[in-house]
Amino acid sequence: MESRLLRVNLTTGDCKVETVPHAMFERWIGGSGINNWIMWEHFLTHDVNCDPRGPDNIFVFGVGPLAATGSGSGIKGRITFKSPCYGIFGDSAAGGKFPYMVRFAGFDYIAITGKAPKPVYLHLCDGDVEIRDASHLWGKNSAEAHNSLVQELGDYPSLAHTLTIGQAGENQVGIASVVSDASRIHARGGGGCVLGSKNLKAIAVQGSGGVRVQNPRGLLNWSKDFRQKIDQNEAIYGFKRRGTLGAVEMYQHIGSHFWRNNQGNMFRGDEVRSDNWVKKYHKYSEVCSADCYIACDGRYKLDGTESEKAKKYVGESFRRPEYLTTASAAGALDLRDWAEVAHWGKVTNDYGIDNQDLSTSISFIMELEQHGLLSARQKAELFDRDNQSLEWGCMEDVEELMKDMVFQRNRFGKFFHDGPYYGALRYSEFRGQNFMKYATYGKGGASFTEEMRPFPTWMNNMAVASRGADHLKGIGLIEKFQRRDLSMKYFGRLEAADLSTPVLKGACTAVVENQVALLNSYGVCLFHWMLDPGGYTPEDYYGRAFAEVTGIDRTPEELMRDGERICNLEKAFNSRLGLRREHDTICERWMFEPCPEGMYPGKVAADMFETVLDEYYEWRGWDRRTSLQTESRLKSLGMDDVADVLAADGALVRA
Amino acid sequence: MITVHAQYQSRFREITRVEKESFEIAEPSMAALATAITGKYGPAMTALLMDEDSKSLNSRGTLYLNSKGTRMYLEDGLADGETVFFMVGIAGG
Amino acid sequence: MSRTPQKELVTGAVWHPPGAEIPDVDEKLYALSNQCTDCNICEVACSLVHSPDNMVNPLLARLKVDHSPQVGRKAVHPFGFAADICHHCGNPPPCAEVCPADAFYYDPKTNVAVIAQDKCIQCMECVPGCPFDVIFVAPDGELLKCDLCGGEPACVDACATRPEMNNAGKQYVRAPVLFHTDTAGYKAVLQDKPERKDEVGMMQAMLEAGTVSSAA
Repeated sequence: MESRLLRVNLTTGDCKVETVPHAMFERWIGGSGINNWIMWEHFLTHDVNCDPRGPDNIFVFGVGPLAATGSGSGIKGRITFKSPCYGIFGDSAAGGKFPYMVRFAGFDYIAITGKAPKPVYLHLCDGDVEIRDASHLWGKNSAEAHNSLVQELGDYPSLAHTLTIGQAGENQVGIASVVSDASRIHARGGGGCVLGSKNLKAIAVQGSGGVRVQNPRGLLNWSKDFRQKIDQNEAIYGFKRRGTLGAVEMYQHIGSHFWRNNQGNMFRGDEVRSDNWVKKYHKYSEVCSADCYIACDGRYKLDGTESEKAKKYVGESFRRPEYLTTASAAGALDLRDWAEVAHWGKVTNDYGIDNQDLSTSISFIMELEQHGLLSARQKAELFDRDNQSLEWGCMEDVEELMKDMVFQRNRFGKFFHDGPYYGALRYSEFRGQNFMKYATYGKGGASFTEEMRPFPTWMNNMAVASRGADHLKGIGLIEKFQRRDLSMKYFGRLEAADLSTPVLKGACTAVVENQVALLNSYGVCLFHWMLDPGGYTPEDYYGRAFAEVTGIDRTPEELMRDGERICNLEKAFNSRLGLRREHDTICERWMFEPCPEGMYPGKVAADMFETVLDEYYEWRGWDRRTSLQTESRLKSLGMDDVADVLAADGALVRA
Repeated sequence: MITVHAQYQSRFREITRVEKESFEIAEPSMAALATAITGKYGPAMTALLMDEDSKSLNSRGTLYLNSKGTRMYLEDGLADGETVFFMVGIAGG
Repeated sequence: MSRTPQKELVTGAVWHPPGAEIPDVDEKLYALSNQCTDCNICEVACSLVHSPDNMVNPLLARLKVDHSPQVGRKAVHPFGFAADICHHCGNPPPCAEVCPADAFYYDPKTNVAVIAQDKCIQCMECVPGCPFDVIFVAPDGELLKCDLCGGEPACVDACATRPEMNNAGKQYVRAPVLFHTDTAGYKAVLQDKPERKDEVGMMQAMLEAGTVSSAA
């Protein structure tokens, strides 16, 4: 297994192609693992404390070895960078056909540094690279820029696929996203802001090259087995139709939504509470990326007959909302009409902005208004206009505030462009009054629109995820779905499936983080694994596909150690930036306010928080007091070189 | 005989075509309820509800909760009047 | 791009003299274009099994998810793409009939017409000769035609089933977007497996409506 890394320095215009050797795959598996290493190496020669919006920051794109091999497990591309909004490790995954085509264009990894003197885009075609003028694209939203590129590049040697940023990225809004093929979004962490700060509007790829597979027959057999497992699974059959919207009803029942800035945890709108919507609006499915046997995505097209509010959006067509699109719109902002929820998904995508941090920033301000904490004068100071209404569930208000943010029009936009935590801090300072108890955030100041107080592993995820509060790093499925079978498999005990005890909850985070790191490094979709068609595991079942593609044959135990190594590198990056135990925390609302409703009312995160965190560090082999990594653990993972760097930075515990 | 209630969501409701219904079962157990439901709705429901290999309830992509919010297993008992919720278990997005 | 000639997956070679009676292909391939999700796995699987050097390259596949299908064509997905797949017309197929080099031979097991690459002069007559636009040209000029993988098509193995086809949960047996079956068996399904009746009925309706691409 070998692949190619393209290094582009936008300041000098230098483009250099390097080979990614087999040894790299042996150590870092691929995808996010190799991305992490490319960034780690970059910051050995550049100041790790640099301004993330400056030319020294690096933006890495990568795909895993399973991408574009027909494995059926769903391709995800991954971007990795130092996050401009949270100031810590940042990465994000997305589909689209870009990660599929980038391999045929001859590159698996792209590392971008420097800053172009004027707006440019990168064109990659069959091994060639060109930095081209993008002045005609600047100012366009992500979809317009994509369409314009696809048109001008034509269909030889293939149709073009793109990564673009919208106006949010151009204006260096901290929570700006990168959009893949106009509709799939690398939302979290502010990758769009990094590209905007480099004056890079887009990357377009075209290709007719090939991708080598070590053992094609073995891979085809694996993939046939995988397809049969998926097609025989009735639960996945439902998922094929609904996608993540299938979670809406279950979340409503157990009280796991995030309603009005988490003042509640159940949706109130009659329509949004049910996934019947899917039947009404969504007729045909489509894959979000390529190589996917599930194809849970689809499109809607509004003709205005669906509801009174749909009349505003006649003719609008886009990918139908995912769960978190719905959670941020119908939950955080209390929009109650599906047409508005769908429209929210489309505009956040077009502007290229993260709907989690955006919705919680807006709902923070709306909650202040709800409690009568904003006078007319104070609102005029924030919005530079009189009489801005801040009404829950009002799409017009939401769109105005979104534009304030995207175009940096006023104090609200400027205060909150790094999400609700930094927004609340800046606003509290501006007003000379502490509003932090209304901000919902976890590690790094990142926000997330799901209830986590009754779910100890989720609460732990929010506090320890390397990229800032997020569920996808160590997703707490064993506990949330009370999976006794998985608890027995990994721990030989039942407690991990029991919501009433903190026992094994931190352990769950550690184990699942390793598994997710593996999947992200293979470069596949997490949902194929989460739906668990054959009771298989990333270190075991997927490991066989990885072996057929790369020729690297590992035992499940070895692969779990590989996953642990990848997680430890992300942690090491954050340790170099000065993150310690006190940074692994969550906001006041989650910590001390009782869970208001749902199936598990009255739960307070603080009851279990520290116990679970201690256990997490213990399972990780990190120092409990400081959260820092220990020399012995790093050495046992073969990370002596990383330990040396940490020691020089005073971020290692000699134990 | 006891009476228990079943409430269906998402994929389950697609098969049953009803949101909730009641079953009279002889044994006060989850196993008896599962038998009654699969008997009524045939192979699609059996495939969704049961794991043929391990002869237990299918745990993949599903969630079955009693009214206290605890996951139900075949060997669990049921009280008269209890409601079991049959849901699709996925997270995030 | 691979310079190595793509390999055919056939069970033997039969050459028929011009004008000879050739039995028809009895394994047919179908594509339900409006169920296709554009996942590209069929293309990847096809290119992988035909690749002599273990390279995946969808441009070397013998079927295609076409993103600029002919306007006015019936079997197009509402989002504007169509699964293009060889229909295996009655023998000799139009592509073979127009070949000036007589480069087509027949797989004795499946009776599928196959291009002999060493005889092909790459004149590309067969490309417009195909009424369904499913003879493809590789980047190096080689002409690519479906050979049915000797009777076990890799694309069919790789194609997942779709919930849109199962009438809101009533049925349990389903079909993928791509499937193949011998025509006799296809008819027999109605009698032998009544539980598939609705599905076959639906496909039949699709055939009549022109939404299924098939020459059967």
